[in-house]
Amino acid sequence: MSSQGDPRDLLELYALGLLEEPELSEAEAMLGGGSGEAKQRMRQAMENNAILMGAVPLADPPKRLRGRVLAAATGRESRWKWMPGWAAASAALAVAVYLGVQSGKQSDELARLRDEMRITLLQSARTGAELARAHQVLSFLNATETRVVTFGPRDPKPPRGRVLIHPVRGVVLIASNLPPVPAGRIYEMWIIPKGAKPVPAGLFQSDAAGNAIHFQQGGVSAGSMVAVTIEPEAGSLQPTSTPLFAAAL
Amino acid sequence: MTLLLPLLFGAFETRNDQDLAARLKRRDSQAIAELYDRYGKLVFSVILRIVKEAGIAEDLTQETFLRVWNRAQFFDEQRGALGPWVLAVARNRAIDYLRSLDGRMAHRTAEFEANLEHPSSFADIERDILNSDRARVLRAAFTKLTPNQRIVLEMAYFEGLSQTEMAARMKQPLGTVKTWVRSALKTLRGELEEVSV
Repeated sequence: MSSQGDPRDLLELYALGLLEEPELSEAEAMLGGGSGEAKQRMRQAMENNAILMGAVPLADPPKRLRGRVLAAATGRESRWKWMPGWAAASAALAVAVYLGVQSGKQSDELARLRDEMRITLLQSARTGAELARAHQVLSFLNATETRVVTFGPRDPKPPRGRVLIHPVRGVVLIASNLPPVPAGRIYEMWIIPKGAKPVPAGLFQSDAAGNAIHFQQGGVSAGSMVAVTIEPEAGSLQPTSTPLFAAAL
Repeated sequence: MTLLLPLLFGAFETRNDQDLAARLKRRDSQAIAELYDRYGKLVFSVILRIVKEAGIAEDLTQETFLRVWNRAQFFDEQRGALGPWVLAVARNRAIDYLRSLDGRMAHRTAEFEANLEHPSSFADIERDILNSDRARVLRAAFTKLTPNQRIVLEMAYFEGLSQTEMAARMKQPLGTVKTWVRSALKTLRGELEEVSV
């Protein structure tokens, strides 16, 4: 589109975000010039965009997505879901925490593993939000107040894993050998304060091998427990099945 | 696209959008649930149409609603059109994702963001635009485009390709692609003007 073209084309292409220089600057100058006609054209172009976007074939989103969206907005539940990249990251995280607990200091090996995990996390982040989450986990891991609890090591049957707790920032669950969930079901984590009812702590999935990592933000009171149940895909307000495991924090 | 028209009815309840937008601004957590119930399916569908992968579409749908939630304070519920704003945010998230995949530079400037994605930009847009006569005419007009015109507009709307990128993809001279784009836009405009006369 040359600068000699129809200004309506220019603004319509601008509304789609498709202009390159020098037309991009030309369109912005038109809009910035305060022309009422240019602004009106622009509004019409934006309306056209909405109309054509609104005509796509409709597809049903998974039911769990509603819970994820509400959780992300209100912070009441986890913002995490399983991603392939998290598998390697969770393994590195578990080893790093183990070494950190054993040595009680930042060993070279621990630092190396943390670096590996940082790279894995950041490479696996596909969106800005995931990148932000990756940084949150790294920050969580590096906090000196973070401690670790293991569950299930003596159980003859799975699942087993670790729970990392930070009294203010929240809980990271790293689990393996989780049983597969039936269609339409999902894992739900619960935090159970001492002497109180379970509080929903986010929905998550595992990979095909039964590995999962799940992060729940928010303070955790002393003496609480963490448990996981299998629930309907949209999540439950109270557990509706027997816990797969429970860990005292 | 005209076959899809009936699916749109019921997806938009613009009469209540004004109230919903006001509650979003007040950070009413029930409002985000209602926003999702009203637009979640369409947002997911738009993003899925663009990225073609359900898992990615889930993530980007979440980002879309989070962005709307966090920016709702700038939305003018008296003059703004909530649906078009939400759809614009959704499209931009999906196109940005496609661009990040193949390292394409976003042709975005701060002015672009201010002009096109900021909630204040959706003031004075017809609230019921998606169910309007104009919407029906535009969708019908889309079916009158030639195959090449339709392809380039599909690339524009659903892949965010610049005209240079379209030319490379289609192995056509840039001038040819520009002609198709320009003539397609002109055809759509002509149909709309014919109705409004």
